Amino acid sequence: MTAGPAAVTAPITIRSGAGHWLRSYVMMTRWELGSLRMLLPLVVAIQVVIGGGFAVGVGLLSDQMPTRAVLYLSTGVAVVTLITVGLVMSPQLVANHKTAGTYDFMWSLPVPRTTQAAAWVTVNSVIALPGMVAALLIANWRYDLPLQVSVSILPAVLLTIVTATMVGYAFAHAIRKPMITQLITTLVSFVILGFAPINFPPENLPGWLADLNLYLPFYHMAVVMRGGLTEGLVTDVGISYLVLGVYTVASVAVAAWVVGRRD
Amino acid sequence: MTNATVNDWTFRAEGVTKKFGEFPANDGITLQVRPGEVYGLLGPNGAGKTTLVKQVIGLLKPTSGSLTLGSYDLVEDPDAARQLCSYLPQAQMPIDSFKAHQVMALTGMIRGGDPETVRRRSGEMIEALDIGEWRDTLGAKLSGGIKRLVGFAMVTVWPGRVVILDEPTNDVDPRRRRLLWEQIRRLGDGGASVFLVTHNVLEAEKSVDRLAIISEGRLIAEGTPSSLKSQDRGRMRLQLMVVPGRATPEMPAFVHDHTRVGNNVMATIGEVDSAHAIGWAQELMGLGEAEEYALAATTLEDVYIRMTGHTSEEVGVEVPA
Repeated sequence: MTAGPAAVTAPITIRSGAGHWLRSYVMMTRWELGSLRMLLPLVVAIQVVIGGGFAVGVGLLSDQMPTRAVLYLSTGVAVVTLITVGLVMSPQLVANHKTAGTYDFMWSLPVPRTTQAAAWVTVNSVIALPGMVAALLIANWRYDLPLQVSVSILPAVLLTIVTATMVGYAFAHAIRKPMITQLITTLVSFVILGFAPINFPPENLPGWLADLNLYLPFYHMAVVMRGGLTEGLVTDVGISYLVLGVYTVASVAVAAWVVGRRD
Repeated sequence: MTNATVNDWTFRAEGVTKKFGEFPANDGITLQVRPGEVYGLLGPNGAGKTTLVKQVIGLLKPTSGSLTLGSYDLVEDPDAARQLCSYLPQAQMPIDSFKAHQVMALTGMIRGGDPETVRRRSGEMIEALDIGEWRDTLGAKLSGGIKRLVGFAMVTVWPGRVVILDEPTNDVDPRRRRLLWEQIRRLGDGGASVFLVTHNVLEAEKSVDRLAIISEGRLIAEGTPSSLKSQDRGRMRLQLMVVPGRATPEMPAFVHDHTRVGNNVMATIGEVDSAHAIGWAQELMGLGEAEEYALAATTLEDVYIRMTGHTSEEVGVEVPA
């Protein structure tokens, strides 16, 4: 056999800087999308079915639903789709790496660890956005909603998906046992669906719980998303952007710290 | 120190201690690996080998001690550690959704290689490891041994200055195992420092330049295979196959030490006692206690057993107190 591995090719200079980060991000996104290649169509299809199914299901609650209520529920479904993909799906995929024993290899790759997190945000967007769009399109078709999509939907989606993904990502990496991660994310998604004013206005909650939600990100995610999808349904969008912005920065910082630390 | 001044690529571990709680998984390990050297880390399961290499690649942080490669402090600069070191973990690789040649090239590019070169090298590796049949097969459809070879190619298609291979030959068939050893040797010839973690002593004996034996977190011996075996000069190994179900025969006074794995009893004796040993073994066969025996020169395995109290098989071992 004549062919063989390379002579030593590792760099004399250690790569760093924006160019290295960007190249690593592209490579890791290719890796993550490639890893999910066989699952991705199915996962996206399920998200579309869930989003669309919820939107159709809203009409089954009552045949006399006021437009405002339908608008609230339909846009709420879109928000829940983004949050659950970030908070539930990404931890489960990280947990799969841990269970399969492939976590060490992924973590030994010579890329800035933040690029691995950024690649996850991209993957989650690919997974979540079709479901969100399907929910809105189906709701719009089914209920003839007065949706008014504005350009502010872009920062709203970005902040929501980055925050949800980074919180889920930090959970998944910080907690050693994959099963505990899955239990926690299941609990979190249950709490979000039941006790965060996403599918209903905060006035429907007990006062203390409504107040508590002002300090949590989920209500504000719903506000900024509705701000980008409707006209006049929500007010004080600026405050919600501020709170969510703080959560985004904090979640990115915590995720960066978690992925950078070593036992 | 600036990168441009780096010209000494010796890997150094100095007094590396890693504690999990109060338990020292590594206890003051000091060793050096020079460029071009294939360095074996031998030891039973749980000895601390994988813990040590995980600290080199920056997956764990030492409780105390230093790990350096030339002028780079691998503990303080894990980004540099990951760029300078390639790592094949003991576990399987996450390649189920990739075709073999694609994942080699993609990993090579992630490691910093240019697309054209890593594609060419992937092809060369596929040929060298004789896995062309599976070039376009998805990882999920590969056998464990072929996956292992693809994993090896992934981490060496664009190798680091240090290449860490944790049990690279696991599940690989004997013919391709030879090809794999050839490639490991070539990595060293290409200038990499190869860290080979294994508990397969016999394979390591043939392939490493130097080795360290680690037991209970401590480095208990280091040297070339020949220098370690020289400690057993003048000794022979008597291998007895005990009749299944029979107890281990009582050892005569000339037996220095013995171990039993399954029905296989390995006893170390002095060369001068060879005739006595043969006589004793034949007597046991006559009594129906043993089925066969063999007398041979000691190997690194015997040194390893004596030092660690384990065989490299690590199952059902009976070691005298």
